[in-house]
Amino acid sequence: MPSLAQNPKVEALKVEFISQKLNLTDAESKSFWPVYNECADKQKAIRKNYRQTMNHLPQELTDEKAKEVVNLEVQTRQAELELEKTYNDKLKAIIGVKKLAKLKQAEFEFKRKVLETVKQQSD
Amino acid sequence: MSLNVKCLKQLNNKVIKLLKHIQFVRPVLVSSGLLFFYTALKAQTAYDSLKIKVPKHFFQTAILLDAYSKPKQTIKETDPTSKRLKDYAVKQYNLSFYTPIATINNYSHDSTINDNTHYLLTGNFMLLQPQFGGLQQHLLTKMGLGFRLIHNTGKKGLFFAEFSPFVTSDNTLKGANYWRMASTILYSHLFNDRFNLRIGITKSFLWGNRHYLPFFGVRIGKLDGVNLSFQFPRNINLQVPLSQSVRLNAYVKPQGGMFLFSNVDTLYFKNTDRKFHFTRYEVLAGLRLDVTATEHFAFYVAGGISGRNNITLYSEQANTKYKRLPLRKTFYELNTAPTGFINLGCVIRFGKRKSIGKNTNLYEAIDLNNSIDPGDNGLIIPNSEIRKANTERSNLKLKDVQDLIDYNDY
Repeated sequence: MPSLAQNPKVEALKVEFISQKLNLTDAESKSFWPVYNECADKQKAIRKNYRQTMNHLPQELTDEKAKEVVNLEVQTRQAELELEKTYNDKLKAIIGVKKLAKLKQAEFEFKRKVLETVKQQSD
Repeated sequence: MSLNVKCLKQLNNKVIKLLKHIQFVRPVLVSSGLLFFYTALKAQTAYDSLKIKVPKHFFQTAILLDAYSKPKQTIKETDPTSKRLKDYAVKQYNLSFYTPIATINNYSHDSTINDNTHYLLTGNFMLLQPQFGGLQQHLLTKMGLGFRLIHNTGKKGLFFAEFSPFVTSDNTLKGANYWRMASTILYSHLFNDRFNLRIGITKSFLWGNRHYLPFFGVRIGKLDGVNLSFQFPRNINLQVPLSQSVRLNAYVKPQGGMFLFSNVDTLYFKNTDRKFHFTRYEVLAGLRLDVTATEHFAFYVAGGISGRNNITLYSEQANTKYKRLPLRKTFYELNTAPTGFINLGCVIRFGKRKSIGKNTNLYEAIDLNNSIDPGDNGLIIPNSEIRKANTERSNLKLKDVQDLIDYNDY
C-alpha cells in the first residue's frame, strides 16, 4: 500500500507488516491508521531533529553547545516518551490494550528484521 | 409570630450567604476548569517542547506539464470558410498546479473518527495552437486560478468542490478577454476500498462551460491495483499496474474547450465583429503509461485515436442579438475523420506531507484531487502518490530506515 515517508518503500513495508500482524477489523482500521500515522510523523520529526543536531556537531564544543547537546538528548527522550504515552492512550481506546501490545511487538519485530537486513547487506 | 420572622430572616441570610458562596464558587470552578484544560493541553503538546516541525498537509504542491498533438488534416472545400481554412491540426500545452493552503484535521473525543478539510489553491494555463493552413497562427490561451475544497468526513464520504474562474484570449487581438467559470461539486461515497461512487454536478471547460452537467462516477477495484473507473462526463479508465512504479491505462475521454478567437483574418463575414468563439471537442481512445520515477517526479506517455473531431465557429454577439436563434448558432461547423494523437506529460511534486498509510479515505481524497485537474481541462494527473507496496526488502541502507528506529538502536 502507498506511503509517503522519507523512504516510501520501507514505510510501506512497515505499514504492511503491522497490518498483517494486527489483523484489524475494517472499523478498527479506519480509526487506527490516521492516529498511528500522525504519531509516526511526530516520532520521525523528533528523531530527525536529534539526528540532524548530532550529525552537524563541530569538532570542538563550547560549554554552551555541550550543554545544549546534553539537554537535547534528555529532551528528545522525554518528547518521545510523552508522545508514546499520549498516543498509547488514543490507540488503546481504538484497538484495545491487547492489540496495542501486539502493535508494540510488531514494531519491535519489524525493527529487528530491518536491522538484520541492513546488517546482512553491509557485511 | 416574631419567632417565625426571625427564622425566616435567618433562612434568608443563609440563602444569601449560599448564593454569595455560589457566586464565589463559579469563578473558582471556571478558572480551575480552564487551568485543567490548559494543563491537559500542555500535557498533550509536551512532546512538542522541542518545537518540532511536522508536515502540515496531506497534499504536496504539484506542478503538471502536459503536451498534446494531433496531425494535420485537409479540409474538404465545401463552402467559402472551408476554402479559407484549408487544413487543420492541433497542438496543445498545459501548465497547471495545485498547492495546499490550509488543512484542518480533527478527531472525535475518543479518536475513533478522523475528519479533515483541505483547502487548495489551483491554477492553470493552457496554450492551444489550432493550425489552419489558410490563416495566420492564432495562439489561444486559457488562464485560471481556482479554489478547491476537499472534506473527508472520516466515515464513508468525501465532499469535493472547485471554483475556478478563467479567461480565454487570442494573441492576435490584444486586450480582448472572455471570462467564465469552471466549477465542480461532488460527493464521493466509499463503500469499501474496492468500490466507490461519486455524484455531483460540473460546469466543465471541456464542454464550453455552457451548462451544468450531472457528474456520475463509479470505480471498481483498488486504487493501487487493477481498477475500472467510469467518470461521466470526464473519462472511462482501466488501470493495470505493471510494477510498483509503472501502470498501464486504457482510457476514453473527451477533450476540448471554447476559446476566444479574433476575426483578424475576417473569417467571419461580418467584419464588425472583432472576435468570435472557436470550440473544439474530440473523443480520445488510447493507452497511457504512467511511470512514477521518484516520490517527487512522475511522467506519462499516451497515444491512440482521436475520434468524433468537431470544431465550430460562432459569434456570441450575433447570437445574443437574434434571440430567437439558439445560443450556439454557428456560422461554421466541421467534423473531421479520426486521426492518431500523442500526449506526453509529467508531474513534479514538492515538499513533504503527512503520512497516509492505509487511510483509505485519504487515498480517495488524493484520487479525487488528481482525477479532476486544476481548471477542469480534462487532463488526468497520475496518482503517483498511491503506490503498491513492494513486499521485498532489498537494497536497504541505514539511511533508508533511520526514521523507523530509535537512536539507541544504532
